[in-house]
Amino acid sequence: MKAPLLALAAMLGLGAMPTMVQSQDAPDAQADRVEQFSQLPFWPGYWVAEEQAGTTVGGIAPSVLAAREKGEAVANFMNLRGGAAKWNAEGQRRLEAAQAINAGRKAAGWGFPMMMNAATPLQFVITPEHVLIVNAYSEVRHVYTDRDMPDEFDLWPTVMGTSVGHWEGDTLVVETTMVRSPIEYFHGAPPFSDDAHYEERIRLEGDRLVSDVTVTDPTTLEEPFVTQVSWIRDEGFDRMIMVDWDNDRTGVDENGVNTIEAEVVE
Amino acid sequence: MRIALAVAAALLVPIGAGTVAAHHSMAMFDNTREVTVRGTVKQFQWSNPHAYIQMVSTDAGGRNVEWSMEMGSPMYLYARGWRPRTLRPGTEVTVRAHPLRSGKAGGVVLDVVDADGRAIGSNQ
Repeated sequence: MKAPLLALAAMLGLGAMPTMVQSQDAPDAQADRVEQFSQLPFWPGYWVAEEQAGTTVGGIAPSVLAAREKGEAVANFMNLRGGAAKWNAEGQRRLEAAQAINAGRKAAGWGFPMMMNAATPLQFVITPEHVLIVNAYSEVRHVYTDRDMPDEFDLWPTVMGTSVGHWEGDTLVVETTMVRSPIEYFHGAPPFSDDAHYEERIRLEGDRLVSDVTVTDPTTLEEPFVTQVSWIRDEGFDRMIMVDWDNDRTGVDENGVNTIEAEVVE
Repeated sequence: MRIALAVAAALLVPIGAGTVAAHHSMAMFDNTREVTVRGTVKQFQWSNPHAYIQMVSTDAGGRNVEWSMEMGSPMYLYARGWRPRTLRPGTEVTVRAHPLRSGKAGGVVLDVVDADGRAIGSNQ
């Protein structure tokens, strides 16, 4: 719509006019968006952390079983837990504090960053404006690719943090801040502080999705934590099976050891 | 109840107790031992973060014992051919599991077969 017409519409209080504007401009906007879509990567399917592919009905990954048989630790298993991170005194203190209350501790979900490395498939929905990363526990990351990080005043710590991204060729580069200390939400998560900065560089390599992750957090780390996670399409997933996380039966026995909470079904 | 304690120490060696294969440590299960429990399904909990088979078996003294058999999450069960109605109350099953270290009636499922010994789902 031309500017004079807009001014006239405003003067006349014609509330219906914006709708007319939209309908006249829509074909061009639609074409632009189709063009933008055509230039974006497409990562269809349900992506399972590579070392957890083939997880059995018992929830045990073949990589874990193989390591047991060899009497070895599991390689590259849930790297984002930070097993290879160089914690400073504060990071170590947070880890030990969490471990002291771990017995029988329940959880409400994976949260970020563990959802990117957890026993759940992920779906990447890529649009020109944002990328949605969804798991089977109804956890969603919104990675906005059409804007800068909001001002600090507009941010506060949340389980998923706030993410913005951009494309460098076919690599999605994600910056995430204001993640509530992950270990407070999920006991198997790293003890990064609310002030940690996360960078992920995600791209398709053949049939694998690979992400290089760098976490910078002087509050808990001696140096930036650098690791890699990867996903493949596992067999048997043809849709996202979402079921509420409402039956955590992790309990603790009289010896302080984790157990399944007893439940007698009447 | 027929419980066969199949000692599989030769094959199964414990690894770090803190290993998280699910949303919690698997240290609560004794992965050096296996139990085989035959009984009747009381309830199949198709739930997150884990599914559970609540089943009743009869012990050597003739008493009914309710077992809590932990499984993975529904998305993995679905991918391996299981559905919420795969197990209905009254279904007779035999479950092979790593038992709880606590000695309570529970474990983590290795596989499940029906009354005729046929695998349920792909059991993978």
